Amino acid sequence: MSVAPGYQRYLGAAALVLGTLAIVAGSPRLGNARVDIAGLAQIVEREEDHVTALELADWIRGKRPNLRVVDVRDSSAFEAYHIPRAERIALRDLASTPFGKAETIVLYSDGGAHSAQGWVFLRAAGHERVYFLRGGLSEWLDDVMNPAISSSTSESSRANSARIAEISRYFGGVPRSEEQGEQAPQAVPLSDAERHNSQPRAEHGHAASRKAIARLRGRGC
Amino acid sequence: MSAPFFELEAFGEGTSLVVAMLIGIAFGWVLERSGMGSARKLAGQFYLRDLTVFKVMFTAIVTAMLGMFWLGWLGFVDISRIYVPETFILPQLAGGLIFGAGFAIAGLCPGTSCVSAATGRADGVAVVLGMFAGVLTMGALLGSLGGFYSSTPRGVLTLPDFLGASYGVVVFGVVLVALVGFRAAEAAERRFGGRVDR
Repeated sequence: MSVAPGYQRYLGAAALVLGTLAIVAGSPRLGNARVDIAGLAQIVEREEDHVTALELADWIRGKRPNLRVVDVRDSSAFEAYHIPRAERIALRDLASTPFGKAETIVLYSDGGAHSAQGWVFLRAAGHERVYFLRGGLSEWLDDVMNPAISSSTSESSRANSARIAEISRYFGGVPRSEEQGEQAPQAVPLSDAERHNSQPRAEHGHAASRKAIARLRGRGC
Repeated sequence: MSAPFFELEAFGEGTSLVVAMLIGIAFGWVLERSGMGSARKLAGQFYLRDLTVFKVMFTAIVTAMLGMFWLGWLGFVDISRIYVPETFILPQLAGGLIFGAGFAIAGLCPGTSCVSAATGRADGVAVVLGMFAGVLTMGALLGSLGGFYSSTPRGVLTLPDFLGASYGVVVFGVVLVALVGFRAAEAAERRFGGRVDR
């Protein structure tokens, strides 16, 4: 290879032309909006795809800017009860709803399934800040509207209990003491899932809340 | 039919192995023909005497990049399906330093050491053996490295993501860096000259 023969200049010029045109072209098509499945799977593995009910409650109470809470259940369920500030958007309309780039979208359904599917739709449509409520409306009812408050005497757990009780009261919920045999009165109307649930709400809620709070403590929230 | 063929199931496993074999032969042949099987030539790079390695590598990068970009733009390649290794900043910095030191000492990198060994050069064979010994040692030590191996993870990070620019702008930037680099490399070769061949 001696000093640049003519063809090397032509190759250099061709690269420059193709490179300059690339600025105008922008980005290559990503295979007919095919989903980056591996990328989404990583987000799921890192558990960055969902929020807990208490996190969502904190966001709503703290008036997090550009927050959109989206209920994907049917309209009768929505009329019966929905999370404050939530709007209803059917699953089939999700991808075509014009969300802003800066908006944080939190999806919820009765359980976690429909909202998780909605999460995939929105991620596929290119929205970055999308989360779903993992335990669905049942988690919201158990952990925010009707949380079991531990009567443990340790300081950190007392502070945590106080915080949860405060959040709960903000949303008009009724915290229950874990030690009391009797349950506090039902604070909220039944959701669909609960209407189908043969177990009495209070009993189910008690165990689930205890589990949910144990989980939160484990994660150091 | 659009690419990547194996990923999009246009190729079976057998076909893709045959294709990989053919691409590997072509790659080795081109490396050898560019003189990259010679440790002397590669070492010349570190003295700015002979920047063939830089020029060959950057030419390959620019060619592949422009090809992938425009084929992707025309819809023949789905670049979202191309595997991008994850970024781990500190372990990769440490690995890069060790790799660079080895490259400068041996005068060969993994690909060129295989080419060098295949052409019967004893130093090439020594580097290939050393490389596999290093890989095995690393594998054995992995457990005692603690969390370092997977520390400072940044996930799959590409230049367009990192810079917040479109692919097109990044493509233009890399082409520009390459062309300016080629000019600078030729100037350095003229100045420090005395090419060492094979």
